[in-house]
Amino acid sequence: MHGKFDGLGRFADPSLLILTSLSDGPKHGYAIMTDIAAFSGVGMEPGTLYGALSRLERRGWIRPLAAGERRRPYEITAAGQEVLAEQLRSMQQVVRVARQRTATA
Amino acid sequence: MTPALADRLSRAVVGCYPPRWKQRYAAELLDVLDQHRAGPRTVLSLAGGALSTHLDPDYRMQIRLKPHLSRDAKLYIAIFAAIIVGVPALVILPMIPRAIRESRWEPSSSGSVGAIAFSRDQRIMVSATGGPPWEATSTLWDLTGQARPRRLSVFEGGSPATISPDGATVATNAFGGRAQVALWNVTRPRHPARLAVLSAGLSGALWGEAFSPDGRILATASTSGLVLWNVADPARPRLLRRLAAAPLPLDNSGPPVPFGVTQGDLVFSPDGRMLASVSGRDQVTVWDVARPARAARLATLAGPHDYFAALTFSPRGNLLAGVTYHGSVLVFRVAGPGRPARVSIRPGLLASARFPGGGSTQAGPCGGDCSFAAAYAAGFTPDGRALTVVVDRPEAWPSTAARDTVFTWQVTGSGDLSDVTTMFRDVNDAQPVLAPGGRILADGSLTGGEVHLWTLP
Repeated sequence: MHGKFDGLGRFADPSLLILTSLSDGPKHGYAIMTDIAAFSGVGMEPGTLYGALSRLERRGWIRPLAAGERRRPYEITAAGQEVLAEQLRSMQQVVRVARQRTATA
Repeated sequence: MTPALADRLSRAVVGCYPPRWKQRYAAELLDVLDQHRAGPRTVLSLAGGALSTHLDPDYRMQIRLKPHLSRDAKLYIAIFAAIIVGVPALVILPMIPRAIRESRWEPSSSGSVGAIAFSRDQRIMVSATGGPPWEATSTLWDLTGQARPRRLSVFEGGSPATISPDGATVATNAFGGRAQVALWNVTRPRHPARLAVLSAGLSGALWGEAFSPDGRILATASTSGLVLWNVADPARPRLLRRLAAAPLPLDNSGPPVPFGVTQGDLVFSPDGRMLASVSGRDQVTVWDVARPARAARLATLAGPHDYFAALTFSPRGNLLAGVTYHGSVLVFRVAGPGRPARVSIRPGLLASARFPGGGSTQAGPCGGDCSFAAAYAAGFTPDGRALTVVVDRPEAWPSTAARDTVFTWQVTGSGDLSDVTTMFRDVNDAQPVLAPGGRILADGSLTGGEVHLWTLP
């Protein structure tokens, strides 16, 4: 579950992973964790997840929906989608340069 | 850690989050824990989350300490605190001797200290320690808190070493090059960066370096002669002029100079228009360096058949004082009407002092080889009315125990010396250097790499 590049930071940034997970629709906490594990291989722990969820909510990048029993789903906001798009553009630039350089090396 | 224990611990840690946070997220988090297989990482992530949430200003517990104390009570507490701190200070401070105060600095490396230099504002000092001069290490010191000097950095650079007037550049003997000078950028004093190495025009052993008062010219002296460098941009130094001085009568294969010769025997006048250098066996050469690219010999001043160990200009630049290895102090007039000439001489400095308690005076066994002669530093006071000469002398060779004296003469405007006063120290050092202003004296230890700092009265 834990990739060898977990320590790289930005690419395993919990906020980025959560925004990516919510970009195809609202999810509650445990669903976000399992989704992230499925698409990135990163096993996010509950403490990390809710630390990031509270920060994203405060910044207005996600918002909580009506809770059902104890589960509360979250959805990404327009501002969150912009941030995610910007992050992806930056990562694509890094990927493009890295590919060019490793190809010519 | 079993999953059951991890689960229990995780739920306990959730209880440690701030109340406001728990009110909002605890139910969801416990729901996630119901579905998640807890392990040690789960406990750690929750503990870290609880801690960071407590530090988060939005959730931090607000603790208000209401001031229940009356104004009178606060006043009594302030007076009590002042007594607790102030009375011991008033008792202890007078117990610190005011005549000469010394601090010792930890060695940066073992071995003898080959060079010490101060910045003009006395905020930074550099010392070179250990090994032959071209394989020593230099240490940069912060003197802003003189009682507690701080070591800023250690870098590869040997003696001689000197600091530019603005304290931004240090020149040292380049590591591994006997006649090479390295320039270091010390504007980030914890991370000195080597800017350039000067080697053209130098050969033999390097024995002197001096920055001009405006910091734009660096004079370097080796057994092959003097060289003036334009170091206005220290990253791109340019050779300006080679000056052929009478070489020091030294063996190039051995130590480049006897003990005591520091950068002080190559000094600029305060206005930067003259440069004085030791030359030959018993001479001082004064150079006109007003136009460095056309520098020329101004005068050769003779001493009493003895090496000059230390030179210093008076603040007005009209007098040049020199001290020789066997303990003669000479004052020359180098500016004003007439040709430069000697105006005062005080021979026999080593024999003139009588130690407290009736101890006998014993000059170093210099003979024909001055390797173990006394070491000297000289400096005028800022008003030019007094000349201080510091002697670190070996009591009896080969013992390195030194009986050290600080002589201070009153100096008239024409350079006459009178009313000498002496102070004694008892240290085991042989590399005295007076800081600009003449109130701070540094001694380099013969062994152990220590630098000792003294405040003169």
